[in-house]
This record gives sequence, C-alpha cells and structure tokens, in this order.
Amino acid sequence: MVKVRFVNLEAQLTLIKDVIISKITSFLESGYYIFGPELNNFEKSVAEYCESKFAIGVGNGTDALFLSLKALGIGNGDEVITVPNSFIATAGAISATGAKPVFIDVKDDFTMNPNLIEQAITEKTKAIIPVHLTGKICDMDPILEIAKKHNLFVIEDAAQSIGSKYKGKKSGSFGDFGCFSLHPLKNLNCFGDGGFITTNNEELYNKLLLLRNHGLINRDECVLWGYNSRLDSLQAAILSIKISDLDKTKERINYIVNKYKSGLKNHVEIPSHEDYDDIFYHTFIIKTDKRNELKKYLLEKGIETSIHYPIPIHLQEAARELRYRKGDFPIVEKQAETILSLPLYPELTNEQIDLIIKEISSFNFY
Amino acid sequence: MEPNYLPEQYKKDKMIEINHNYLQKQFADYDIIFEKLKELVIKGDFTLGESVNEFEKNFAKIVGTKYAIGVGSGTDALFLSLKALGIGEGDEVITSPYGFYSTVGAIVTAGAKPVFVDVGEDYNINPNLIEGAITDKTKAIIPVHWAGLLCDMEKIIPIAEKNNIHIVEDACQAFKAYKDKRYSGNFGTLGCFSFHPLKIINIWGDGGMIVTNSQAMHDKLLLLRNHGLINRDECVLWGYNSRLDSLQAVVGDHLLKKVDSITKTRIRNADYFNQKLVEIPEVLTPIRYGDEDHVYHLYIIRAKDRDRLQEFLIKNGIDAKVHYSPPLHMQIAANKFGYKKGDFPVAEKISSSVLSLPVHEFITQEQQDYIVEKIKKFYNG
Repeated sequence: MVKVRFVNLEAQLTLIKDVIISKITSFLESGYYIFGPELNNFEKSVAEYCESKFAIGVGNGTDALFLSLKALGIGNGDEVITVPNSFIATAGAISATGAKPVFIDVKDDFTMNPNLIEQAITEKTKAIIPVHLTGKICDMDPILEIAKKHNLFVIEDAAQSIGSKYKGKKSGSFGDFGCFSLHPLKNLNCFGDGGFITTNNEELYNKLLLLRNHGLINRDECVLWGYNSRLDSLQAAILSIKISDLDKTKERINYIVNKYKSGLKNHVEIPSHEDYDDIFYHTFIIKTDKRNELKKYLLEKGIETSIHYPIPIHLQEAARELRYRKGDFPIVEKQAETILSLPLYPELTNEQIDLIIKEISSFNFY
Repeated sequence: MEPNYLPEQYKKDKMIEINHNYLQKQFADYDIIFEKLKELVIKGDFTLGESVNEFEKNFAKIVGTKYAIGVGSGTDALFLSLKALGIGEGDEVITSPYGFYSTVGAIVTAGAKPVFVDVGEDYNINPNLIEGAITDKTKAIIPVHWAGLLCDMEKIIPIAEKNNIHIVEDACQAFKAYKDKRYSGNFGTLGCFSFHPLKIINIWGDGGMIVTNSQAMHDKLLLLRNHGLINRDECVLWGYNSRLDSLQAVVGDHLLKKVDSITKTRIRNADYFNQKLVEIPEVLTPIRYGDEDHVYHLYIIRAKDRDRLQEFLIKNGIDAKVHYSPPLHMQIAANKFGYKKGDFPVAEKISSSVLSLPVHEFITQEQQDYIVEKIKKFYNG
C-alpha cells in the first residue's frame, strides 16, 4: 500500500477548494477568457514577487524559453550553452528556434559548472542558459561575468526555482530573461500548463508581448509573425490565490528539507548549498550508489520516489544529431545513476517525513 | 506599450448591448461542468489526462476521422501539422491573404514561406488560381474555411493530388461545416481546429485540435506536442510543449454535446439576416452553396461606406466588427515577402468592405430586427 505518494495535488486542493471555486465562478461570469484583468493582476504580483520589473504570462515553461530566445533573435546557425541534466524542454526550446544546444558538465550540486563555459564558447555562441535545477540557483557571479566578457545573453531556466535567492537576489532577476513554469508539479502551480517570463528590459518586454500574441500591436495590425502562447486568464485567476500562499509554502518546504537533511546526512549524500544560498526547493535529491535498490526498497515500504532524470539529454535519441557520446559529461552521467528524488510538497505530514527518514535510515547500504 | 490591448476593448464591449461576446450566457450552467472538474482535480490529472482522451475520441467521431489530437491552440494545430509533414526551411505553403494572422504565423514559424493566392467573392481561396502558384518548392496548401464556409474542396483536392502536395485544412472557424458527405477537417491530410473562446466549440482559454486519418501523422503529433517523449524518460525527437489542458477538455466535451443546436441556431440566424438584408442594396450578404456548408462562426456582410456604418452601429449598441483589414499581404510583418497593394485585388476589395454582425446562438430575432432596422436607417437617413 502506498503511504507516501510522490505527488499529492489532491491534498493541496482540499485546502483552498472553496476559494478557488468562487474565483473561477466570478471569472466565468466576467466572460473574458483571453487576457484581461486577471492576467494583468497576476503578472504584476508575480513580477513583484520575483523582484523583476516585468512579468509576461505565456503558455508554458517551454514556451517561456523558446520565446525568450526568439526575442533575442536567436535561431538558425546560432549556439546556446546549457547543461545536459535538465528536463528535456531546455534543449527542446533551443532546438525549436533552429539553434544548436551545446552542453557543459555540472557541479556536485547539479548546477552548471562556470569553469567549463569558456571552453565551450565559439563565434556562433549567442546565449547561456543556466538551469537552476532543484531550486538551487547556479553560481551566477562568474556566469554573468563570462557572459559580459564574451557579449552573450543569459536566459535563466528558472522553471524549478521560483522564490529562490542567491546572494540576496531572486531567481529570474539575474539574466536578460528568467523563464518560469507554472506546471501543476511546480511550487507555484496552476490547473494545467502555464508559464511566465521575467525581465527588467522594457524593449525586450515589448517584444515578448508581440511574440506571444501573433505579432499584433492592436487588433488589426501585425508587425511581425509571432506565436500564440498565452497564459489562460482562468489559470491567472487561480494563480493569484496561490501566490499569496507562496511564502507559507516556502516555509513548510524549508522545514521538510531541514528534517530530511539532518535525518539523512549520515546515510546518503544530501543536497549541498553555500552560505549565500536561500533555496526554495522544488525537488529534494539524494545521492547513493545503491539508488536502484533503495528506490525498490522504499516502494516496498509504501514510499514513492522519482528520478530527475535517469537519462541525460545528450544521451537521448533526439540528441543523436548533436554527436555526443557516453563519457562526455562524467558528472552528469554519474549523477544519473545515483540520484533519487524524495517526496517534497507542503502537505507532506510530519509522520510521513519521519517514516521516510526512518525507512532510509534502516536500509542496508552495504 | 499596453501589456494586453484587449482589456480596453473589453471595457468598450461592456457598453454594447448586442455583443459578439456571449460567454456569460453560454457558461451559465457551469455547475454541471464543476461536477466533472472535481473528479479531474482530485486525481491531479491536469495535463494529458483522461478527459483529453475522451474529448479527442468524441471529437474524431463527429468529424469522421480516425484520430484527433488535442493541442495548445488553433495556431499550434497549424504549426504542428506542418512540422508533422516535415515542412520547414526552403519550402512553400499556399494559402489565402484574407484571414487571421496565425495561418501565416504558423507557416513562418515552421520556417517555410507563405505564398498567397487571391480569394473569391465567397471570401475563400480561389481554386482556379492555385495551380499558377505551385512551384517545385510547394509542399502544402492551407485552405482556410473562412467564417465557417467550406472551401471548394472538390476542386482543391484534385489539384493537390496531381501535384503531390498535402492539404492542411484551417478549419478553426468551421467545425461541423458539411458537404459531399464529409465534415470540415476530413478533406485533407490534416485538419486544424481552434477552441478559442469565441469559436463554434469553445473553452475557457486557449486550445486546439488536429484531426487525421493517418496513423503515422497521429503518432508523430503525439510526440511533437509533448517534448518528443515516448515515455517519461526517453526523448526520440526535439518536440514542443503544446497540450490541450485536461480542464479545458472537460469544458470542450461538455459543449460538444450541444454542437448540433449551436450550428443550427447560427445557420437559422444567418438565414434570417439574409432574408432581411436582401432588401438593402448597399449590403451584400455572405455566399453559401449548400444547406450545411457554412456554420457561421462569423456572419460577414459587405457594406458600402463600411467604416461609417460600423461607427453608426456601435453608437447604437451593436457590436459590429471587422474581420480583418488590412489583408495579410499588406501587414508590416509581410514586408519581407515582397507583395504590394494590388497583388490580390479581391482580398483587398473584400477587406475594405467587410463587416461582421453578431450571429451567435444567443441573439434574439428582436435583436436581429433591430440591427437590420439600424442598417436601413443608416443608408436611408
């Protein structure tokens, strides 16, 4: 019997069901389902939360990356540097623009290794996409410095890192763009697909407004061929409720993470952080050489776990055209074999947390 | 720049009595939908859930195709269809210059070049001009069933077959338009639909559908819409994220059951307008050829002195709209294609005189009479 589900959206919903239903009801009665005040309000409050001047709601996190690249004019013949341990969408978005993803290896903490960036830069390189995997922000100081030196754009893949801070600054506020996902499994989530982009640059902001809505400057005039990638106003209405709970969510997640860390540190490798990190964890990933055995053992004990992600992007069939091979990114490849994600959501009960720690502690690692 | 220009438009709409926007009325029964949504929400089944499968199955059944694939929007339906056919850089796609921006946007996004062919007096692509536009780079034709009227597929299909090019139907405005024993979407290799809030079948946000009889196309599209993943962990091609939300599929499926009454009412309302407006010599009513080949997503008349008539009607509380002007080849975005004014005389003529009158299923006969009366008043003083 499952005692701890890896995902439990039901629990989350029960808490706020009535508020959401009345919100949807008034939304429906408004009759305005595309754009409108709900979206404006959400964009304003999420920009404020992310400490960026502007936020632009889009169809999903993948589109956020794709539209950001397009807004910077990146496409055919260009190269974009990123990491191979992200969700497939990071490389997918680069590919969709016509550009080529160029991978570099990561550090022990799963984030881009800044020391490897410069050797990957060619004259075709146009941008770097650091991925704040698990919620931990990449080491942005050296990344920004290298980008500046080589005149490259920085697009943060902040799909997993809403609310995280690095040296006091929020994720999504470092680069030219910050790309966020509002997918149901994210810390700020909606009832379907959604995403948004943050920026401090008004010109880029205006470009994105055009790109997400057919290139229209008004109903009748089309100044460029754009896309249709809008955050549904319905989702914005739901998100405007959830965003007010986000600080509370972070507090609870932190509590769980600290319990995990102190309870597990003698048994498995726990996620590391620097003094200047203030991480809003999206996933809690432990490392152990006995990963597969532990995963199986926990499932027998009723605890679901997951792997983010078992096959690195450069070894996917889709990446064959990029001509990477096994051994190119040893740290990512090693991590793919040792990582295990534990359940992490605010509704996890203290009993469930204790149970997970107890079962992992009693597992025979030898 | 205004973040969303629509809210201003909305404020204006609020003052209007006879509106194009009827959503409040349409979803007055949202309690029924809420019941169905509860189940979905409890399961947390928000993306590519059971309700999407169900809606796809029911949709395909109505259109008469083997498959239907839910996607993010009508624009994405067109884009993903072109991608599924392998169309991109260096290819040409033929379509009409009188339409919505997204048809061309989807072609350009795919990397291909849109090639325009003028329309006929019925606002749809003129089949007699298609062959003249075909080159060895032409890979597809996108006939747009404008306003809800089926294009002349009887003529277009043989041209496509003879030249070995695909047909991707832009049926975004024409769900359930019917002719020659086939529904829109079932004439080409792929058919594209939109569920944008003001379409025949509409939802609470953006969504779209692609229909096809080809299993190969279906399988490819399933990959393209979901990151190229064959399962959670394996990615076989670089795809996109373009999914119809499970929640929106519940809404769409709910309305699908009402589609016959929706289209019948729209056709009835259009017939009534046709009958009344024929008395006004300054107005041309929209053409149709059969009883069911036009479902009137829009009821578009051509009117003398259009801009002033529109202004007059709006002043009288009637939400008269222009869909669309100027035509696509004269938009700033089209500069790079090298077209100029005069290249598509019929599209240009039509654009300068079209006016859409509210025709949706909640318009009453009294409101229609009022509209006709005001149009008469405008011309007769």
